[in-house]
Amino acid sequence: MAAPVVEIHNLAKTYGLAPVLREVQFRLMPGAGAFVVGGNGAGKSTLLRILAGLEAPSSGNAIVFGQDTRKLAARYRRRIGMMAHQSFLYPNLTACENLEFYAELYSIAEPRVSAELWLERVGLADVANARVRTFSRGMEQRLSAARAMLAEPLLLLLDEPFASLDHDGSEIVASLIRVAIERGAAVIATAHAVPEIEGVEFAVYEISHGRFASQVHKEEVRRGGRIRSLLGR
Amino acid sequence: MSGFSAVLRKDLRLELRSGESTLALLALSMLVLVVLVFALDAGRVRSVDVAAGALWVAMVFAGMLGANRALLAERDNGAIRGLLLSPLDPGTLYAAKLAAALIFMAVAEVGAVILMVLFFNLEFDASIARLAPILALGAIGFSALATLLSAITGRTRGGDMLLPILAVPIFVPALIAGVKASAAALAGAPLDSMDAWLKIMVAFDVLFVTAGYLLFEHVVGEG
Repeated sequence: MAAPVVEIHNLAKTYGLAPVLREVQFRLMPGAGAFVVGGNGAGKSTLLRILAGLEAPSSGNAIVFGQDTRKLAARYRRRIGMMAHQSFLYPNLTACENLEFYAELYSIAEPRVSAELWLERVGLADVANARVRTFSRGMEQRLSAARAMLAEPLLLLLDEPFASLDHDGSEIVASLIRVAIERGAAVIATAHAVPEIEGVEFAVYEISHGRFASQVHKEEVRRGGRIRSLLGR
Repeated sequence: MSGFSAVLRKDLRLELRSGESTLALLALSMLVLVVLVFALDAGRVRSVDVAAGALWVAMVFAGMLGANRALLAERDNGAIRGLLLSPLDPGTLYAAKLAAALIFMAVAEVGAVILMVLFFNLEFDASIARLAPILALGAIGFSALATLLSAITGRTRGGDMLLPILAVPIFVPALIAGVKASAAALAGAPLDSMDAWLKIMVAFDVLFVTAGYLLFEHVVGEG
């Protein structure tokens, strides 16, 4: 049996005296997807940053690929792709230069070719040589998705991946997520409302005041009006 | 090595595109030298002593600006998180940032030396060439220190103000050595006569380049 990609044990995070995450327990297997839903300030983004190794938990453990995220070695960080509220892109570089730069950091063979391929996939090939500072928020979000998936990571951490995207953009990102899951990547995404991605079954978890509720039945979420279809709108 | 060259090339490309750091560094160097030319009475002090002091004041201010800007680009759009999440070793990231800061500072230093010669009525002769290794040692030490400290101060409110408060006192030993050695070089003394000052600068460089390489991952993250 495959080992879980993500295991979280009694995880807690506080900023000063304010608790953000409390007693979080969670595990995710390869090729599985999970949506973490919750309101603003519920702790969703903090959870993803901890899993990416960008922040340390205050107590408990977050284990990714069998490694504590407090000390993720380069070969494990290489397997993680992240889309956050910030795009991690350089406004004064072009779309192609940004992706080429990240492709070099991930030691991808032929960075330029890879960058052009991903620009094609996210529908930005025609603006490949435009600087990112001229992009709309939606275009930047698409490019950010390409950046996160460039190295074909085995764990995708997506913080509100559909925010700011139009219908076409949402479909593109949804299809990239589906492809990632089909090739065995584990995906954790956050959202205020759960998007439905055709052909992919996501477990839904609710996070409220830092507490990670057990898995929520999709019907329950649907009744609460918090499922939105990405397709056929 | 590919990560180092990727980050360095990216920083140089961004700088060539905007010219922000180099122009700001040159402008600041010129302002400092102009102010000091008018503020100091060259008649009462040896001109080479005043010139050496003015040059190093300009270099310290330009170095702080350069180091601050080198990491500022990484704070835009949270790009620093993209770098920390990548397989790039934080020590390599530090080395690339240091190299970029050094290149910007070297350009500013060349400009500052030309202005110093003009403003202080010095000659473009062998003494100016003797300044090169002294300024190079000073630039390495100050860039190493300021790059490390700017990773800390960049995360805090009012970090721009905090950097000089932290950096200048720590740099004082190398600053004194640099000013003394530069004054001696401008006065025509051979390099081996300023052995003691140069050793202090080399020791400072080794200490802070090593400290920066080892500590960068602990100061650049978000805890």
